[in-house]
Amino acid sequence: MILKTNNLSKRFKHRLVVSDLNLEVEKGQIFGFLGPNGAGKSTTIRMLLSLIAPTSGNFELFGGDWKTQGKKVYSKVGALVEAPDFYLYLSAERNLKILGELNGWISRNRIYEVLDIVRLKDRARDKVKSFSHGMRQRLGIAQAIMCKPELIILDEPTSGLDPEGIKEIRDLIVSLSKDLECTVFLSSHILHEIEQVCTHMGIIDHGKLIVQGEVQNLLRETDFFVTEVSTDKPQQALNLLQSEPWVKKVALSDEILKVHLSAECRPKLAECLIRNKIRVSSIIPRTSLEDYYLSLVKSESDK
Amino acid sequence: MFLTLKAFYWESVKIFSKLRTYIGFITIAILIPMIMLLVRKYGFDIQSTAFRSLENSFFFVGTLINGLLISYYLMNVLWVHFPFFIVLVAGDVMAGEGAAGTFRMLLTRPISRFQVVTSKFLATFLYTAAIVLFLGICSVGVGILVIGGGDLFVLDKGILILVQGEALLRFLLAYILAVWVQTTVAALAFLFSTISNNSVGPIIGTYAVIVVSLVLSVLRIDALESIKPYLFTSYFEVYFAPFSNPIPWHEILSDVIHLGAFILIFYLISVVIFMRKDICT
Ligand SMILES: Nc1ncnc2c1ncn2[C@@H]1O[C@H](COP(=O)(O)OP(=O)(O)OP(=O)(O)O)[C@@H](O)[C@H]1O
Ligand SMILES: [Mg+2]
Repeated sequence: MILKTNNLSKRFKHRLVVSDLNLEVEKGQIFGFLGPNGAGKSTTIRMLLSLIAPTSGNFELFGGDWKTQGKKVYSKVGALVEAPDFYLYLSAERNLKILGELNGWISRNRIYEVLDIVRLKDRARDKVKSFSHGMRQRLGIAQAIMCKPELIILDEPTSGLDPEGIKEIRDLIVSLSKDLECTVFLSSHILHEIEQVCTHMGIIDHGKLIVQGEVQNLLRETDFFVTEVSTDKPQQALNLLQSEPWVKKVALSDEILKVHLSAECRPKLAECLIRNKIRVSSIIPRTSLEDYYLSLVKSESDK
Repeated sequence: MFLTLKAFYWESVKIFSKLRTYIGFITIAILIPMIMLLVRKYGFDIQSTAFRSLENSFFFVGTLINGLLISYYLMNVLWVHFPFFIVLVAGDVMAGEGAAGTFRMLLTRPISRFQVVTSKFLATFLYTAAIVLFLGICSVGVGILVIGGGDLFVLDKGILILVQGEALLRFLLAYILAVWVQTTVAALAFLFSTISNNSVGPIIGTYAVIVVSLVLSVLRIDALESIKPYLFTSYFEVYFAPFSNPIPWHEILSDVIHLGAFILIFYLISVVIFMRKDICT
């Protein structure tokens, strides 16, 4: 177990911001930490990085307790929390040098290597003051991966990046995990991002963990495999499908049928419609984390 | 230990990469030669009537006024004016990183908070020593160059006449003591800097404390006598002590120890606060 939290909680004044969080992240996972604004993602990450102290509960990094093992363990952790703030009056290279030196030692070559990865090599000697937000974000990522960490903790790593940059960073995360067997813990409120990048995820809302597990499993377990069907006779198709036992649920909206059924039954659906002389113009399976996420967050706030 | 030294080196690099660090140096480099040139051109009116009567009753070859005497008088800026340059930098050392959000990166490196705060404190001391000694070298050096050297006449409990060589040694001692005095100021600003998340608060806070305690130190009210030992400004004048004969080593030592205690207390409080602080910026 790389990262484990036990009833981790944080209270600011009277507001419980993170409550009894139990996360488990194992080696090699890309763990997505998902939640709406103000859910407590950054607060959790700050606790994991010992920037703030938990009010109660504890956590383990690489199997060691946070209180007893000291800061040494962070030499194996690369991190970026919230906005990428650097020393504005120093150059990009100097910034990385200072942070790298505190990790032990960092070579000039390695600094230029990571600056090249995030495409900032030609700006290495410029003061960070002159960087755009996206460039600072890239520099933040460079800083996080510079010391070849075994665990990378990123708080909304793609915020402020252009589409190309977003793709680059996502690819980078995946390749770090594949090639270097790095464990990644990243927070995001972009579901699409988690769906694309992560192997595992946890959803947090109002400081509480709602669910965690393998992304694929979470999706399979749910009935949020919505299959959208458009036909020439939607009403007739609706009546037909409602009587089929393998269809869990079907609804009609805007002339499009939304059918809930397991993935295995999808061929049956097409066959059934055609057999009944209904012309099918499209069958689109949507495995939407979005729906899943919204339903969880909604049911949580209904409680 | 090694990591602390390394961190100290990089903290010093940070301090000396900031523009505000040079405000003091530049001001001194401009102001001191200007003052010396003005004195050379227009002379210097010594306020002390005792000094005047002295000049009337004895026959002096030349004048009492030379570069050393002006430097001696210039040491009075160390009371309230000069601390501004100290507070400007020391007040920013911790708060500046909080405000800029850079603690988020710094503190997630494998360095303990104790090491961070200690290395920053040492770097602050380095700056303090550098700028105080710069003031000393500037004022004495430029004073001798522009107005000229000679014997230093000091009115202490009587007349003290120091030949130039001896006077220079006394200045050296005085400025080393001044470093220690200003380090107390720096340590207080550092403490406020640890509490605050912006660098204006510590500047104002430290100044308020200095001014209030100076007033209390100077007032000759019996009721205040008992609190004077607890005001660090009561020990400020230690840097004038080397200009007495014989040099009051015992008093100097006692003042140095008292100031050291203040520095240690301010530092330790800073350590405790910083180690428990939630970094929320
Ligand atoms: N220093 C603080 N003092 C008081 N409340 C705080 C503090 N920091 C955070 N909070 C509160 O904690 C809650 C969670 O904040 P947090 O920054 O962890 O959210 P988040 O999940 O990262 O949100 P986002 O997606 O917007 O980044 C918010 O309601 C916020 O107001
Ligand atoms: Mg956040």
